[in-house]
Amino acid sequence: MDKDTFRITLQGAVAGNHDDFLRIITLYEPLINNHCYINGKFDEDLHQYILMHIALKISKFII
Amino acid sequence: MDYRQNADRDKLRAEFTAWLDTLIRRAKLDYLRKMEIPVDIVSLEELGEEFLPITEDVWMRQLLLQEDDFNFEEERLANAYAQLPLLRKQILKLLFVDNLKVKEVAKKLNCPSTYVSDQKRRALAALRKKLSEGGDENG
Repeated sequence: MDKDTFRITLQGAVAGNHDDFLRIITLYEPLINNHCYINGKFDEDLHQYILMHIALKISKFII
Repeated sequence: MDYRQNADRDKLRAEFTAWLDTLIRRAKLDYLRKMEIPVDIVSLEELGEEFLPITEDVWMRQLLLQEDDFNFEEERLANAYAQLPLLRKQILKLLFVDNLKVKEVAKKLNCPSTYVSDQKRRALAALRKKLSEGGDENG
């Protein structure tokens, strides 16, 4: 994803566009998954909790 | 121009990545607190020495101990050897102390055997040069 596409996608995600939000989540999936391990095991509930948290807070990011 | 554009892209991405990372960390802590999930914590005393980070002086001591593998009879040669880059020293040690073949050294260092031969040639040339320079100074 180049500079302009990233900016437009991020702006869309921040503005509440569902598709752009999904694109950002897909882009950052490795980072998100990396944080979803508890005591060495992937925690699906934590994964959902983090995704929900991002969905609720992404509009606060100032570009 | 391209470089500046990349720098801008990196800046926005870096900002967002840092922001997202902090957000995820906070969410995780919040989740752990809510669910009251205990996280395995091991004290430093319980950890084996192999898990502890080594300090610079320990690393240097290990390095010097490694270098003692050569038993130099001549001080000048020892000094010249000490001035070689670390990789060339390692290659010479593997070739002449451990008596490995060039191919074996290449396999061990994960590099082509031509590279090992080249580094060996350069290291020996550097040693010869240092020794001849020292000879001129003394003579």
